[in-house]
Amino acid sequence: MNKRIFAFIDEDAKKEIRRAILKAVAIPGYTIPFASREMPITRGWGTGGLQITLSTLVEADTLKVIDQGCDGSVNAVTMRNFITSVTDVATTTITGEASIIQTRHRIPETPLTEDQILVFQVPYPEVLTTVEPDTAAQKVMHANHDYGKMWVLLYEDTAQFGDSRISHRYPVEINGVYLMDPSPIPKYDIPRLHNNSALMLFGAGREKRIYAIPPYTSVQPLKFEDREFSRETFPGIRCERCGAAGVFFDQVYLDDGIHYYCSDTDFCDRNVAGER
Amino acid sequence: MMLEIEDVSKVYGTGCSDCLELTGNRHGRAICPRCRSVVAVNRVNLQVGANLVLGVVGESGSGKSTLLKLIYRELKTSAGSIYFQADFPDGRKRLNLMELAYRELSIIRNTHMSMIYQDVRRGLNFLFSAGGNIAEKIIAAGERKYDAVREQVLQFSEKIDIPTERVDEYPETFSGGQQQRIQIAKALASSPRLLLLDEPTTGLDVSVQARILDLVKVLHREMGFTMIVVSHDLGVIKHLTDLTVVMKNGSIVEQGLTDQILEDPQHAYTQLLVSSIL
Repeated sequence: MNKRIFAFIDEDAKKEIRRAILKAVAIPGYTIPFASREMPITRGWGTGGLQITLSTLVEADTLKVIDQGCDGSVNAVTMRNFITSVTDVATTTITGEASIIQTRHRIPETPLTEDQILVFQVPYPEVLTTVEPDTAAQKVMHANHDYGKMWVLLYEDTAQFGDSRISHRYPVEINGVYLMDPSPIPKYDIPRLHNNSALMLFGAGREKRIYAIPPYTSVQPLKFEDREFSRETFPGIRCERCGAAGVFFDQVYLDDGIHYYCSDTDFCDRNVAGER
Repeated sequence: MMLEIEDVSKVYGTGCSDCLELTGNRHGRAICPRCRSVVAVNRVNLQVGANLVLGVVGESGSGKSTLLKLIYRELKTSAGSIYFQADFPDGRKRLNLMELAYRELSIIRNTHMSMIYQDVRRGLNFLFSAGGNIAEKIIAAGERKYDAVREQVLQFSEKIDIPTERVDEYPETFSGGQQQRIQIAKALASSPRLLLLDEPTTGLDVSVQARILDLVKVLHREMGFTMIVVSHDLGVIKHLTDLTVVMKNGSIVEQGLTDQILEDPQHAYTQLLVSSIL
């Protein structure tokens, strides 16, 4: 009795989650239902990503956890503390040293490698929810590559606002087959999904879904042939801490005005340390 | 023939071996006395040539709407086949609509046939703008360039007399007649070969009805497609169609040229129908 289980989740549950992950990797972009166990965190606060991380970790792994690019924000710190308290794995804030990176809403600026796994926390796994609330109808639409309604959304935004209004959770087509919700990463990060060297796993604990983008998979944002996919640009802006330009910035409102800092804190730290 | 309906029946209920024999016009009933199944369509044979307009008339419950739903494959036949001839994207020239998988069916519906419903809420998506609804059909037919989609949307909105500056508004901001015209534009945006109309003007006031019918006539002349119009309004049938079939208790009781049927009805039921015009 009272024997401590490695990584909190019992082995049967881990097996079920790993099977879901394997199926997700085998069918890129398709959402796989899983049981979603009770976690000591409220559903909707990253339990999907957490369950994937706990089921994937081994003793030799090095873990990095970020929330909106930051290793030090509350969600990242509590996740990291919980995972190390049940596994004793080494942790790092350096992107290049991590073997598993759990993330909320960002992809690190430093390119990932084949030896890394990126685990996303996902609030809304079903990309078609905005146009078709009926889950049975969504399944039929996915099965038949019937994404006309998503195109209409894109058409309406372009007609009324000149471009898509979607700033995050931009719909992407995986391997030319399934349309997928990439979790609330900014448009800025969307091109990084394409042909990435790392395995990318997506977990939605509240919605009980797991899906994946295997390494080197084609990921294309939904767009008209005669329109460019435009992502956020920050013309003339540099990080006030490290001086970097052309990366994704946090906008910080202080009494003396608006300040800009790198959203990816590790990237900023490496710059300050003079490693780039 | 563009559309060949061969021995088509639709039975609701458990059905038995005698259903088709014990019902239909000859017996004056649509409910099988042995198994109590409803025979909505009873061994209907019908052929429609290209660019012709066929009217289907009959009282409520005669099976005319069911027949239309079978052609659009919203329902599957209990027996019989419906063949559709056209140049299909996969190279085939003639296919049995009853044998199509969902994917093939949605391609056919997006490129070769369209349905216009009495209830606009069935034909239009009220969460999309008027232009978005028209665009949905153009995009579904394969267009992936925004400028081309937009241009066609504006062209169609002009054709149906919806001011182009209102094209991005939502359907509920339009009047009933305008909504029906938007539905017509949506149905025709993919340049279908076959247009199915289920009571297209029922519930609209008379002047709006006339305008819709004129619009359909003009578009039919301009674009060229086969039409099947289901209506219990003989005025609509007279105005639009070349040929007419009269249905009762699930079977066809009379068919021929529309003028002939309206001027010189042979079957007792048709005579009653024609003499009942107010």
